[in-house]
Amino acid sequence: MLHLQSNVTIRRGHLRRRDFLKVIPAAAAAAGTLSWQDVMAANAPALRKAGKACILLWMGGGPSQFETFDPKQGHTNGGETKTIQTAISGIEISENLPKIARSLGDLCLIRSMNGKEGQHPRATFLMHTGYLPSPAVKYPTLGSIVAKEIGDPASDLPSFVRVATGGAGNAVSAMGSAGILGVDYDPLTMANPGRPPENTSLSTGDERFGRRMRLLDRLQSDYAHQGGREEVADHQKIYAQAARLVMSPKMSGFDLDKEPQKIKEAYGSSPFAQGCLLARRLIETGVTFVEVSLGPWDTHQDNFNRTRTVCNQLDQPFTALIADLKSRGMLDSTLILWTGEFGRTPRINPNAGRDHFPRAFTSVLAGSGIRGGQVIGATDAGGEAVKDRPVSVNDLLRTVCHSLGIDADKQNMSSIGRPIRIVDGGEVVKEAFA
Amino acid sequence: MANRPFIALSGWLSFVAILVNGLAAGAEQPATIAAKVDQLLREEVPFANAAPKAPPRIDDERFLRRVSLDIIGRLPTPEEVTAFSLDPAADKRTTIVAKLLGDLRFGGNWGRYWRDVIMYRKSEERLQFLVGIPLEPYLAESFNSNKPWNQIATEFITVSGGANENGASGLIVAQQGQPEEIVGEVSRIFLGVQIQCAQCHDHPTDRWTREQFHQLAAFFPRIASRPNQQTREISIVATDVEPRQLFRRPMMNRGIGTLEHRMSDPKNPQSEGKLMQPVLFATGDNLPIGTPDAERRGSLAKWITEKENPYFAKAFVNRMWSELTGEGFYEPIDDIGPDRHATAPKALEYLAREFADTGYDLKWLFRVITATAMYQLPSSPRRGPEDPPMQHNVAQRLRADQVFDNLLLVLEASEPAPPPGVLGPAALRFAGPRRQFTTAFGYDPSTRRDEIQSSIPQALAMMNSPLIAGALRGTGNTMLARKLAAINDDSSLVQELYLRVLGREASQSELATCQQFVKEVNNRTEAFEDVLWGLINSAEFLHRS
Repeated sequence: MLHLQSNVTIRRGHLRRRDFLKVIPAAAAAAGTLSWQDVMAANAPALRKAGKACILLWMGGGPSQFETFDPKQGHTNGGETKTIQTAISGIEISENLPKIARSLGDLCLIRSMNGKEGQHPRATFLMHTGYLPSPAVKYPTLGSIVAKEIGDPASDLPSFVRVATGGAGNAVSAMGSAGILGVDYDPLTMANPGRPPENTSLSTGDERFGRRMRLLDRLQSDYAHQGGREEVADHQKIYAQAARLVMSPKMSGFDLDKEPQKIKEAYGSSPFAQGCLLARRLIETGVTFVEVSLGPWDTHQDNFNRTRTVCNQLDQPFTALIADLKSRGMLDSTLILWTGEFGRTPRINPNAGRDHFPRAFTSVLAGSGIRGGQVIGATDAGGEAVKDRPVSVNDLLRTVCHSLGIDADKQNMSSIGRPIRIVDGGEVVKEAFA
Repeated sequence: MANRPFIALSGWLSFVAILVNGLAAGAEQPATIAAKVDQLLREEVPFANAAPKAPPRIDDERFLRRVSLDIIGRLPTPEEVTAFSLDPAADKRTTIVAKLLGDLRFGGNWGRYWRDVIMYRKSEERLQFLVGIPLEPYLAESFNSNKPWNQIATEFITVSGGANENGASGLIVAQQGQPEEIVGEVSRIFLGVQIQCAQCHDHPTDRWTREQFHQLAAFFPRIASRPNQQTREISIVATDVEPRQLFRRPMMNRGIGTLEHRMSDPKNPQSEGKLMQPVLFATGDNLPIGTPDAERRGSLAKWITEKENPYFAKAFVNRMWSELTGEGFYEPIDDIGPDRHATAPKALEYLAREFADTGYDLKWLFRVITATAMYQLPSSPRRGPEDPPMQHNVAQRLRADQVFDNLLLVLEASEPAPPPGVLGPAALRFAGPRRQFTTAFGYDPSTRRDEIQSSIPQALAMMNSPLIAGALRGTGNTMLARKLAAINDDSSLVQELYLRVLGREASQSELATCQQFVKEVNNRTEAFEDVLWGLINSAEFLHRS
């Protein structure tokens, strides 16, 4: 019960009894015979689900596992990268991530990620959807699935925000969209986390905007009566939602200037750092899924220097995000997934680079029931193959669903009437959970 | 809808006869065909509310708006609306269709449509820039020169060489030269048969087998879509000799073809797979193992496009009919296989056969469909599943490029150019406002229109985008500033804006609403900015009704 209590009180930092009642089935509430605690216990799954959120830190281009979470110091394949101790004895990571090393107690490293796709867009799409791209079916991306399954449909803000700060390049659309789930679950995409999303700033004052909206309503009635009834109704619904969004006090969730200087400094000032801070603010405001990208990790040349540069942009914001969520009591309900589309080759090529390598790489999980301070799976001495406990892309996605209380076997219908499972096959990585 | 007067068959046939008699010499044929299509259609799907008068027909203003948007993707100008309404000629609707089909924007509009048909199913996002660019002008020129549809299909299927020079490479390059994906698209687009469902396993509800799918893929094993390492340009290259193993890089793009196609064994994926002979499922036509690439693709193109093929003409007619009347004989429009049921199959068969007899004359088909009584019916929302089919022309959402072009047109704004110094491919990739609009408003034209939803980013773009906000100002060098200065009478100015933005005059009540609004605001410039904003942000502006 204590566990449930804490789960309830910390929900997005703002859960009130009123919010809480919304998720209780009417019958149970109407019965009136249940105590507050009984009701809570009876609805624990629904409650937990409602409070969950997810941040995907997308490492576009495919980060080198050797220079991040699976270094091979002493082996030829390891190159010049050295290892350092972490907060957890027995777990070592690359020297490029000293701050992350100190917060490893919150992280679960999966060093045995294992796939087949070695092309950026296809692998990016696969990691986001669990499927390869197909002309016949628009598979939905993870953020859209999560938004549909556990997002708050009554929220002023969209449930899925994508901050495409870097590393995405042309592959940003390979990250997928709502596809067969419909535009309600498409991401609100932002290129710059330091500015409000595109076209959300009014071009006139509030009052004049209100005047225009009222005029628009009156001008549409003739068309509505001449065969345009449905288009007008649909249009008015969307315009009302859009107006509610731009006028919503929750838009301040997008305003990083509202954040104390100390917190801003803790994250840092790079676009990725701003994206991480924005992710926390948005989750707090009621957004369910935020995707923030960092890159480019595609180090075919000069791998060691270039990876170090990107690691420098990763280390502080990632650590600050975990610490910030934790101190606000939000880490227990917020899942963090750190991953790219694949890893990089063990063999260092003649340009001191590493090429695409989907066969053995690392993804990282934290929060939302994940047991931190552990490593799952292992690669062999030279990082050439998974030695222990292979984890597939679908295993990983199924694990994400499990953590968020989503039924991965649920089927959605494609436009040609084919049922599409949220995740087709795969198994939950059970040992990831506490 | 229920009380709208409809006429009995005999009554409207005589009405059609009057229409036919009134036509200029040489134009009889499309109108005669159109009348026959209407007759067959109403035999199969009678009007639910038949009444002894002519079928309702939209007025001149609405006809001009509809046909302009349908053919050239643009609204008529206020001058064109007025001139058309005042024109006393009996055959003015046929004449305007002919004129619009001669306008170069016809090819631009439909070139973008077919570019979207192909590119919304591309297998890799980056290909948008490699393929979308040469594809669009190729299609535009093909439509403007009225290249027969069978020739266009043949060019898509048999294309070779550099993708930058030849837009017909678009379909193959969009599928990265992968035989299975190419044939899925060839079948879907040109035949309206969704055979790709049989790629992995036999489907209980479909008649085509996995083997037939792979026999179709066997027309394409020898080609590859190969990027040049330096220039990044993609070429379609065919191989008729056994390639060296050296070229095979399984995790990278398919850089070279194989001599024959093999169907993998799902129980034993490591095995070589079963050797497949090229066979076209729809007709049974086939070629022996060992046939060179040119003959494989050449034969396939011939068999797909010949008149005996039961699907080719029907697939195109069904799609165009759906785009122009709002409701396809088959829906979705690219799923017309033998296990699907058509609304009014005889009307479709007839029109498809006549289309094939013209030698697949694209403009002829536009002339016929726009001349039907069905096309000229008033528009209504999409019917519910229980309502009778084809009782109205159905309002259609404009496509992204059409919305954008019409904004530029009505606001007299020009499309921002790439910043100075941005040239060549980078200029083509320039993410200007058109791209923003395409992202927000774009949709796959093969999806059912009732599945395409409006979205919040669309509303935000119309409400707040800086391009629109700037262009609708009533001050400075803008369209509205010029009109405010030139037209002193408020009701005339309201009418000018209605004609310009919606292609029609304001009704009495709309005029009164606007006049009242201008009075209340008590600032003429601001008030008309708001009226213009309201018209541009209306559902009517975004639809072709």
